[in-house]
Amino acid sequence: MGAALTLWRKHMIKLISKKEESIGVLFQPILWVVLFGTGMKSVMSTGMVGNGDFYMTFMVPGIIALAAMSGAIDGGLTLLFERVQGIIKEYLVAPIPRISILAGNAMSTINKSLFQSLVILVIGVLMGAKFVGLDPLGWLGGLFLITGYSLGFAGIGLAVASRTDSPGGYHMLIFMLTLPLLFLSNALYPLEYLPTWMQVGAKINPVSYVVDGLRQTIFDSNALLTGGELLPLWLCFLVVIIFAILSMTLAYYSFKKSIK
Amino acid sequence: MAEMQGTNLAIEVKGLVKEYPSKVLAVNGIDLNIKSNTIYALLGPNGAGKTTTINILTTLKEPTAGSIKVLGFDVIQQANKVRRNIGVTFQEMILDDELTGRQVLDYHGRLYKLGARERQKKVIELLKLAELEEAADRVVKTYSGGMKRRLELVRGLMTEPEILFLDEPTTGLDPQNRSSIWKYIRNLKEKSNLTLLLTTHYMEEAEELADYVGIIDYGKIVIEGTPRELIDKMGADTIQIAGNGNSDLFIQELKGHSFIQNIVNTNGLIQIGTDSGNKRLVEVVSIASKSGFTIEDISIAKPSLGDVFLKYTGRRLRDK
Ligand SMILES: Nc1ncnc2c1ncn2[C@@H]1O[C@H](COP(=O)(O)OP(=O)(O)OP(=O)(O)O)[C@@H](O)[C@H]1O
Ligand SMILES: [Mg+2]
Repeated sequence: MGAALTLWRKHMIKLISKKEESIGVLFQPILWVVLFGTGMKSVMSTGMVGNGDFYMTFMVPGIIALAAMSGAIDGGLTLLFERVQGIIKEYLVAPIPRISILAGNAMSTINKSLFQSLVILVIGVLMGAKFVGLDPLGWLGGLFLITGYSLGFAGIGLAVASRTDSPGGYHMLIFMLTLPLLFLSNALYPLEYLPTWMQVGAKINPVSYVVDGLRQTIFDSNALLTGGELLPLWLCFLVVIIFAILSMTLAYYSFKKSIK
Repeated sequence: MAEMQGTNLAIEVKGLVKEYPSKVLAVNGIDLNIKSNTIYALLGPNGAGKTTTINILTTLKEPTAGSIKVLGFDVIQQANKVRRNIGVTFQEMILDDELTGRQVLDYHGRLYKLGARERQKKVIELLKLAELEEAADRVVKTYSGGMKRRLELVRGLMTEPEILFLDEPTTGLDPQNRSSIWKYIRNLKEKSNLTLLLTTHYMEEAEELADYVGIIDYGKIVIEGTPRELIDKMGADTIQIAGNGNSDLFIQELKGHSFIQNIVNTNGLIQIGTDSGNKRLVEVVSIASKSGFTIEDISIAKPSLGDVFLKYTGRRLRDK
């Protein structure tokens, strides 16, 4: 644990000391909410479905999912560079458990995701998204979901980063894996408007569960776009937990193999 | 202090073999016994298996076969105990470019769970040793190659290791930096109770630094000993003379003396093999003047580790 904290600390210090990157971490989610939100809100207000504020409430969890995903992709990239530049050797000859190298990396990824989620929530409120208000249990549940989800994607990033030595190859693979997960989910559009095959896809996709979980924990579920049914909350938690465990396990074995 | 299990061998290797998955036989049966508090140099050309050997000794790679003990600990079974007690500088520079020199050392100490006070003390001491005090708070990106290498070398000392592994510590450095690093390595060994295993393909480096040298080629140690022993095994020094006069008579006269082992005359350059160049120089000069030969240039050539290498492997070190 100590070693993981050290690596987490190092990654965070490096992030803060690099101006462009820390500005990026702050502004990327703002940009998403503002652009996506404004665009979709005006489409919705023209009277297609619900009203604009409802769409914001509906969409902000999806943007949190997008941010967590992109943060995890960066996290994998950090590992990839540490491997390619050989910095990983410094860790490998140190008396620390191998898993702490992954844990430290995942911790910085989650840390960034939580920060970005906060930014998204704040901007979301400003743009009209409706929250549960003062419901500690709800917020705690939301925090748990974002953490678990971010861990899950961190695992995918780390697993892929252990398998390839080229940043180009990494990006290819990672986008192939993650973008469909985002689009084939209920993050950006309500399930019931999708064709059946997409509904089926979305239902086996962990992203849908974290998004619907967030809609029920930290958002005002009465203010959502449609009356469509949400995925059961208990199932949302279960899926997110399983997703996190599976993908971190995958990352661990794939990493183990890479240092053989 | 690590338990040494009744021996004063810092490194004990028997029958080390490493075959990479690609079927490259990088190390092909090495035995090594390195005493505590000595400097041992593995000297060998590119691809000889030096880095592979270091990687296994430092627990980075697993051996295909062999029994390998570092400080009495098995590198596979007791890897973490080995790791706790060694310092490593790899062949390539591996530094976090975006950290400052001070941070690099500090984070290294943190990884080894050194306390804040100890870290701080060590960092100051080592920055001084590496002559990096002024640059300490600049990011490493702005360092010269020599500064980076010095930082890496002291990083290995943050944790007060008992053995320091240095894989080609001076490759890519200019002569000035190289000799300052040599000085620094010698100092280290004198001041602290340190065992050093370094690899190099510069024979001057091995001659300068090492108490023991092992020449490695094609994954095998071909000969081992102190630099003196190895060179002495080569036998003859050579006295080289160029000059004018009756060289045939001069050579004739020389051949009458028992300390002369052989003479080669190539285009006016006379090479005289003798038991000791220093001792016989005066005699050779007086024989020359007696036989009416005027010396214009004279020098003594001692065999070098390069010649030793040539003798035992049949080829030159490839770095020339
Ligand atoms: N990871 C690897 N996979 C496959 N073959 C390898 C690997 N690392 C090294 N080799 C091969 O093993 C042999 C020994 O390599 P090694 O790096 O140990 O040599 P070296 O003595 O350190 O050489 P140099 O002076 O160039 O650093 C070489 O033939 C090399 O190509
Ligand atoms: Mg090497």
